[in-house]
Amino acid sequence: MNAFFQFIARHRLFASILFLMIFPFFMPYEALAINILIFGLFAMGFNLLFGYMGLLSFGHAAFLGIGSYLTGISIVHYSLPWGTAILIGVIGAAIGGLIMGFLAIRTRGIYFSMVTLALGQIVYYIFYKAESFTGGENGLRGVKVETFSILGIPVDFLNPLTKYYIILFFVSIALWLISRILNSPLGAVMEAIRENEKRAAACGFDVTKTKLLVFVLSAAICGLAGSLRALHLSIVPIDSLHYLQSGQAVMMSILGGMGTFFGPFIGAAVMLYLEDIVTTFTKHWMAVIGLVFMLFVLFFPKGIWGTILSKLHINQDV
Amino acid sequence: MTGLSLELLCMQLLTGIALGSIYALLALGLCLIFGMLNVVNFAHGAFFMVGAFLGVYFLGITGNFWFSLILTPLVTGGLGLITERFLVRPLYGRGLDYPLLLTFGLSYVLIEAMRVTFGIEGLPSITPEGLGGTVDVGIGTFPKYRLFLIAATAFIIFAVWLFIQKTRYGLIIKAGAADQEIVKVLGVDIAKVWLLVFGMGCAIAGLSGILASPTRSVNPEMGIPILAESFVVTVVGGMGSPAGAVVAGLLVGIVYSMTSLFFPDLAELSIFVLMAMVLLIRPQGLFGKAGAMG
Amino acid sequence: MRNMNQTPILEARNVSKSFGKFKALNDVSTRFMPGTITAIIGPNGAGKSTFFNILSGAFPPSSGQILFNGKDITGIPQHEFARIGISKSFQITNVFKQLSVHENVRVAAQMETSRYNFLSNTKNYQKPIELADELLRRVNLERLRNKITGDLAHGQQRALEIAMALACNPSLLLLDEPTAGMSPEETMVMMDLIHTLASERTVILVEHKMKLIMGLCKRIIVLHHGEFLAEGTPEEIQNNAEVRRVYLGQG
Repeated sequence: MNAFFQFIARHRLFASILFLMIFPFFMPYEALAINILIFGLFAMGFNLLFGYMGLLSFGHAAFLGIGSYLTGISIVHYSLPWGTAILIGVIGAAIGGLIMGFLAIRTRGIYFSMVTLALGQIVYYIFYKAESFTGGENGLRGVKVETFSILGIPVDFLNPLTKYYIILFFVSIALWLISRILNSPLGAVMEAIRENEKRAAACGFDVTKTKLLVFVLSAAICGLAGSLRALHLSIVPIDSLHYLQSGQAVMMSILGGMGTFFGPFIGAAVMLYLEDIVTTFTKHWMAVIGLVFMLFVLFFPKGIWGTILSKLHINQDV
Repeated sequence: MTGLSLELLCMQLLTGIALGSIYALLALGLCLIFGMLNVVNFAHGAFFMVGAFLGVYFLGITGNFWFSLILTPLVTGGLGLITERFLVRPLYGRGLDYPLLLTFGLSYVLIEAMRVTFGIEGLPSITPEGLGGTVDVGIGTFPKYRLFLIAATAFIIFAVWLFIQKTRYGLIIKAGAADQEIVKVLGVDIAKVWLLVFGMGCAIAGLSGILASPTRSVNPEMGIPILAESFVVTVVGGMGSPAGAVVAGLLVGIVYSMTSLFFPDLAELSIFVLMAMVLLIRPQGLFGKAGAMG
Repeated sequence: MRNMNQTPILEARNVSKSFGKFKALNDVSTRFMPGTITAIIGPNGAGKSTFFNILSGAFPPSSGQILFNGKDITGIPQHEFARIGISKSFQITNVFKQLSVHENVRVAAQMETSRYNFLSNTKNYQKPIELADELLRRVNLERLRNKITGDLAHGQQRALEIAMALACNPSLLLLDEPTAGMSPEETMVMMDLIHTLASERTVILVEHKMKLIMGLCKRIIVLHHGEFLAEGTPEEIQNNAEVRRVYLGQG
């Protein structure tokens, strides 16, 4: 058993993607698997900033939303091909990250959480009011992706399983990027700053610039999750941008294990699967998840995956 | 811009002050908790909402507004005491984010609790007898309740100020906010102070809720935007500055009110834009200390 | 004073610092010559820490200037200091507790090569790894390279901090009470290390242990109540009546 986990630890990217490839067969229905995949990516992008840099942002829904809306608007209003639409969504989210990051990074600690929440709300209200583009309160509708062909083979995007694997393709690229970042010199500096900001600065690292760079990367990844979500749902709900959506990323990271590689994904899976079950026999899901979250904050701060890894004495980088 | 008179502007200003008074009170409660415990109470909006519900409920069954006005903050304050003692305190020393996260989870539970207790539609708000109707303020007629609101919050803020400045407990709170180690060394049971301050903060939030309840719809989600707005006020005023909280609260209320006169669609957005500008020009807020927070 | 025509490596000109109403430093001026080892001493509350923090870049002075090799560096951000060649160790050990000993120094060593590269693999970056190995050897910690830093003994953590401070190849090394909390044996080891380091670069240290300072430093600066009181060789300071008066006891 231990050897198995050691293998995963050394090849985390490979193991993760392999797991994700067989994941839909564990889920009761594909749409849930797709949802978990998308929000797993959202949580992992968020975790880059939270778990690895120690910056708790409550505004990351803005990037999920910007990705969703820009992709949706590109398709609905400008009839752009979906590949281009995704690119626009990601770049837009990255730019949003640059602006929000620039304003928020100059604040410290818990102040940062407040500021990002409030800045995220600006994005919410802007998209809410820009009704002609976004559909306002009702959200954006009609984000349809037609069947397309890859290398001459026609692909039916509406087939749930096919949709899952297409989305997985993009998620895998993002996972590769995240793993790369964490293994890179930047990753080492990130960890140093999280451990001891003063010492990192004394060593010569520009803490502010590093935080901003990670903020932008994190925003781009969340933007990708948003773009994929728009394609999946064919609509973009306005609530994607609300701070409660940001809170969901926070919860998923804590539940799964912040500061671990795959933890946030596990958190997303557990949370969405639990929601699926619980909502069938009660409408008080909000209380349930609130209680569960408080329990984790109090007693299991390492999260599910983090606790498993530490019990098996495996490095938390998995 | 026809029909725009000085009178109209003044009336709108007065409305802004009434709205701002609630913001000021809310932000003050948040500031107390942050100043003393270094905790941002993400359940602050939820306590506001609970206060509104309890206020309407007590008023409904007793018919006595003053009684409700006293009972409501006691209940929300009591809830705050329980929260601090059993939920937040175990998390000190674990890292600044944990109490924040916990209160965020708590807000979910509080919202659902109110849904279960009072229904998802909420309660119809009640304007207390004797405070309804309008009053001639010289330049026009103004809702009597809003005047009461301004006076009541001013009184409460003054009372809190007196408490902090003049009483022994207040001195400890001030000292504790500045240096927790010194207070401990002086033999003061710092845990009791934390308990008291958190309770006070939640009591103030609840009080804001009942005071605001006649002016808005009372439903379980009403606290959600309030949290964001409290943060805007705190950023504008400066983290940890009670004076900043009050001044910024009034300012934000006025900005909202004046914007809704000229650009009604952009009123909500305007206060966030104000905050963004403050972040750009003076990140520590109007009354904050440079370098401390931004 | 030798070489009066040489540019001082570090100079403080009329440095004052106030925290609110409290004036921690008042009009302190002094120069540090290259290749010297100087100690800053003074009774508690003299302003040593504040002066150290200003010289090492933790915060800027309220007024006055700091010059490095003749260039005005007043107010530059902390991270610039390491890049121009001024490195420091903290009074309370400031290392990356969750990382291994080797990782600590490797991160510090990375400063020269890359800070924002997020696509290469750190395993392939030989230079910081080799530099870290070498530095650990200098401070005698190479056999502990894989240990988690939080598990090290106090003296070893302080030695690690010195290794990290050396990673950017500083021409000026600032040490804040390097032997604080150390046993006599650890103190001797540290003092030997500092002596070796001082032969290659300029060292300024804040210290309390007079015996060590007397043996190690050619020049001592005395602060008192935030003001410059006296400076000179150890003998001169020992015989200075003013210093004897304010500095009660620690022989």
